[in-house]
Amino acid sequence: MAEEKNILSVTEITRRIKGVLEMGFSEVWVQGEISNCKNHSSGHLYFTLKDAGASLSAVMWRSRVAQLLFRPNDGMKVIVRGNITVYEPRGNYQIDCLQIQPVGIGELQLAFDRLKQKLSAEGLFDEAQKKPLPEYPQKIGIVTSPTGAAIQDMLNILARRFPALEVIVAPVKVQGIGAAEEIAEAIQDLNSFSDIDVIIVGRGGGSLEDLWAFNEEIVARAIYSSRIPTVSAVGHEIDFSISDFVADLRAPTPSAAAELVVRDRNDVIDILRHFSYTIQNSVVNMLRSSKEKVQGLVGSYSFNKPLDLFRQRSQRVDEVERRLHQIVGQRLTMDRQRAQSFTKRIQSLDPELALKRGYTIVYRNQKIVPSVAQLSAKEHITVIFRDGEAESLVESVKKA
Amino acid sequence: MASSKKETSKRTFEQSLARLEKIVDSLEQGEVPLENAIELYEEGIELSKECMETLSKAELKIKKLSKDLSGKIELADFE
Repeated sequence: MAEEKNILSVTEITRRIKGVLEMGFSEVWVQGEISNCKNHSSGHLYFTLKDAGASLSAVMWRSRVAQLLFRPNDGMKVIVRGNITVYEPRGNYQIDCLQIQPVGIGELQLAFDRLKQKLSAEGLFDEAQKKPLPEYPQKIGIVTSPTGAAIQDMLNILARRFPALEVIVAPVKVQGIGAAEEIAEAIQDLNSFSDIDVIIVGRGGGSLEDLWAFNEEIVARAIYSSRIPTVSAVGHEIDFSISDFVADLRAPTPSAAAELVVRDRNDVIDILRHFSYTIQNSVVNMLRSSKEKVQGLVGSYSFNKPLDLFRQRSQRVDEVERRLHQIVGQRLTMDRQRAQSFTKRIQSLDPELALKRGYTIVYRNQKIVPSVAQLSAKEHITVIFRDGEAESLVESVKKA
Repeated sequence: MASSKKETSKRTFEQSLARLEKIVDSLEQGEVPLENAIELYEEGIELSKECMETLSKAELKIKKLSKDLSGKIELADFE
């Protein structure tokens, strides 16, 4: 009877072993080195965890593999959290991994480095690929959580600095499962707008895990594929994310991103003032120099040559005229002098003067008798004196 | 005058500013004939006034992107 009780089928014994093992070794942490690592086409991951003294089969189901932030490789030292399970058909026990963490270097850091290296090798970080940000964007897309402080900070800064803007917020989950996918999709969605000038992708500060979505490949690729220039603004100044490297510009914080994408309105107003001033000045200068040019031309020798010739001619005319006046004047003077001398001579001929000097004039029959030879004795004559006349009788004539 | 204003206001702020910058450059270099210079001057002053107005009057417009059930993108008011 005892024999009957002790006889178990393979299945029965295996089930009992399974029960003992699975009850006794649930949620254990095991440290070892990965070997024989196989990524099955089913997506499940099979490997052997071993150390110097023993080995342990390990499996991680596809759903959990997808959440791994690094790729397990042979030789990698890891700590595995999992449950011991028994695979009945083969009588194997194995550890069903819930989580795998690299030993030493942090899991996330490792994943970060791996992705960074991969994308860098692909050229996603090349400076030559970076698009310049528009100087004066009109429409800005923001991919972030609609409820965080980050969005409020950004909107406040944009409104203060350069309010002539339209902002399109693409609300996304920025951490947790599905966050990376939402962020990537939002970037693509914003790219369907033809008039968005720049996209800010980011979130406020948090732990490395909180910021993790921005270290996901899907986000990196969405940023890289974005036709619209993107600014990555994740966490604080000290946090670097993969999205920072891919984006066209890294902003240390979301607030800084808002300041980077728009210029301060007051600066722009200053520029505008300067422009107006320059325009005004240039035109005033141009007018002034044109005026000076005209004045210069008017004063120039060539321009004045005709006038000069005219002046020379008129000067000659003046000169001739002056000479003419001179000659005529001389002539007049001479004539006047001659006239005067004639007058004197004429005056000297005036009989009155002779009478005054005591001479007399002899008239006969009202005619002057200029010569004694015309007279004969016994003739009547009239002798004119200065103060009267005397009727006389010629006694005798005697020629000189 | 009215039509030219309409034309210029169709431009984006950046375009207006770029045009203004060009005007400033050509005027500064002084290679424009005087008649053109005065035209440019008038245009430039107009542009700068417009830009100033844009800056001093504008308010931030905020929209939220959302999708309907069929995945079509829509814009809604933010908050």
